[in-house]
Amino acid sequence: MSLLSNTTALLGKELRTEFRSRELLTTTVVFILVVVVLFSFTFDPGSNESRRFAANLLWIAFLFAASLMLQPCFLREQNNDTLSALRLCVADPFAIFAAKLTANTLFLLLTELLMLPVFSILFNMPVFPVFGQLVLVLFLGSLGVSIVGTALSAISAQARMRELLLPLLLFPLLTPVVVASTYVTVGLLDVAPFMEWKGIGFLAIFDVVFLTALWLFGEYLLEE
Amino acid sequence: MKNLNSVFAAYLAGWGIFFVYYISIARRTAALRDEIERLKNALNRGK
Amino acid sequence: MKKHALASAVVFLLLGAAAYGALFVAPTEKTMGTIQRIFYLHVSSAWTGLTAFFICFIANLIYVWRREPRWDWLAVSAAEVGLVFTTVVLVTGPIWAHPVWGIWWTWDARLTSTFVLWLLYISYLLLRTLVEEPDRRALFSALFGVFAFLDVPLVFGSIRWWRTQHPQPVVMGGSGSGLEPTMWYVLLFSWGAMLSLMALLLRARYEFEAVRGETDLLQREAEGM
Repeated sequence: MSLLSNTTALLGKELRTEFRSRELLTTTVVFILVVVVLFSFTFDPGSNESRRFAANLLWIAFLFAASLMLQPCFLREQNNDTLSALRLCVADPFAIFAAKLTANTLFLLLTELLMLPVFSILFNMPVFPVFGQLVLVLFLGSLGVSIVGTALSAISAQARMRELLLPLLLFPLLTPVVVASTYVTVGLLDVAPFMEWKGIGFLAIFDVVFLTALWLFGEYLLEE
Repeated sequence: MKNLNSVFAAYLAGWGIFFVYYISIARRTAALRDEIERLKNALNRGK
Repeated sequence: MKKHALASAVVFLLLGAAAYGALFVAPTEKTMGTIQRIFYLHVSSAWTGLTAFFICFIANLIYVWRREPRWDWLAVSAAEVGLVFTTVVLVTGPIWAHPVWGIWWTWDARLTSTFVLWLLYISYLLLRTLVEEPDRRALFSALFGVFAFLDVPLVFGSIRWWRTQHPQPVVMGGSGSGLEPTMWYVLLFSWGAMLSLMALLLRARYEFEAVRGETDLLQREAEGM
């Protein structure tokens, strides 16, 4: 069977598993809300400067949420001992990663899109004029987070202190994504909105680099 | 030459860090070599 | 033992010569004056740190391919040594910044990127302490090491392009801009001296790792009795 059909089949499994209970999505959305409220206490949300902080806050909240959301990714397989079964089903182990990172990107994007109107109201930032561009930067950023996060969750699932280890490994690696995404988002949500296409291009390059790295080395992450 | 103190401080700090690191490796290696001697003797006695 | 002592002596001499060059041979810089002489230590440490991390990267790749423990030994040694050099960069940066601008830390592009680099390789070492099985530890840290090194240019690039909008003190005054030939020679010589120090530290650390491997083997033999 081809890589694409394997990936699609596994992706279907990932989506079905999540949508059966929707526990990951609901918990993540609520978590982001809690983080946003907490962070809002650290600056004055009413002032003019708060628009800049709010846009950055968006990404910090998403990043924290992602680091928690990615924990079960491979842990679930390990706890249920299903990883070896998965490996037997597919010809190319990359299909497992492709399916999981696609699912993670979709989940992340879904939570982010659900949160956008909330952010818009809480911080008085009009998001609909720039909605298309926002979705683009959210997609590319979330893709980057998912690619690296899925790979690292395969490592952290087999290590001690995994709840701390995953963010510890993830956050420094994702620095370029955070820097570029926040800059683009701040630009889009500015009083005079502008689109930093260089940032978009950079995010795309990041995604390509790490997707290629995962494709080349992924199978070693799944070794018995 | 103002600020010469800072330049000296920087060089001392830098070299200090390298020196401390080198010494720590040397000591740990020596400790391990002693451990090897001890283990080898224990094994020989056991045989 | 004698070879070690000789090598150490050579490195020590080179470092001394480099320091002499930085303090007395290099001309005084126009804007910052004497304090700028830290530049030769600061920049050469930075370049050497990156060289060590590159060696770590290559060792990681070879380990994934060959699975021989000695490449894992080289990788962890190179990562640790690189971290030491990067620490020196982060320490000399504030020592430079304080007399000039009155502040200890500036979030200038290079210093910020170096900080992230430092955190990346600290994470690498921490990962190693949290995976118990030796083969798995070697494999996972090798894979993370590959990811980390691929990330380095992206980190430096993104911070340089999008974290320097505000006017900030730039610790190195734009490297390469207006460097006289003598300054270049002193800098390159300093780098050479630092590289020799790196080689010395690498060999010592690698030896420690090799000896530890031997100790583990003997210990298991002793326990098996």
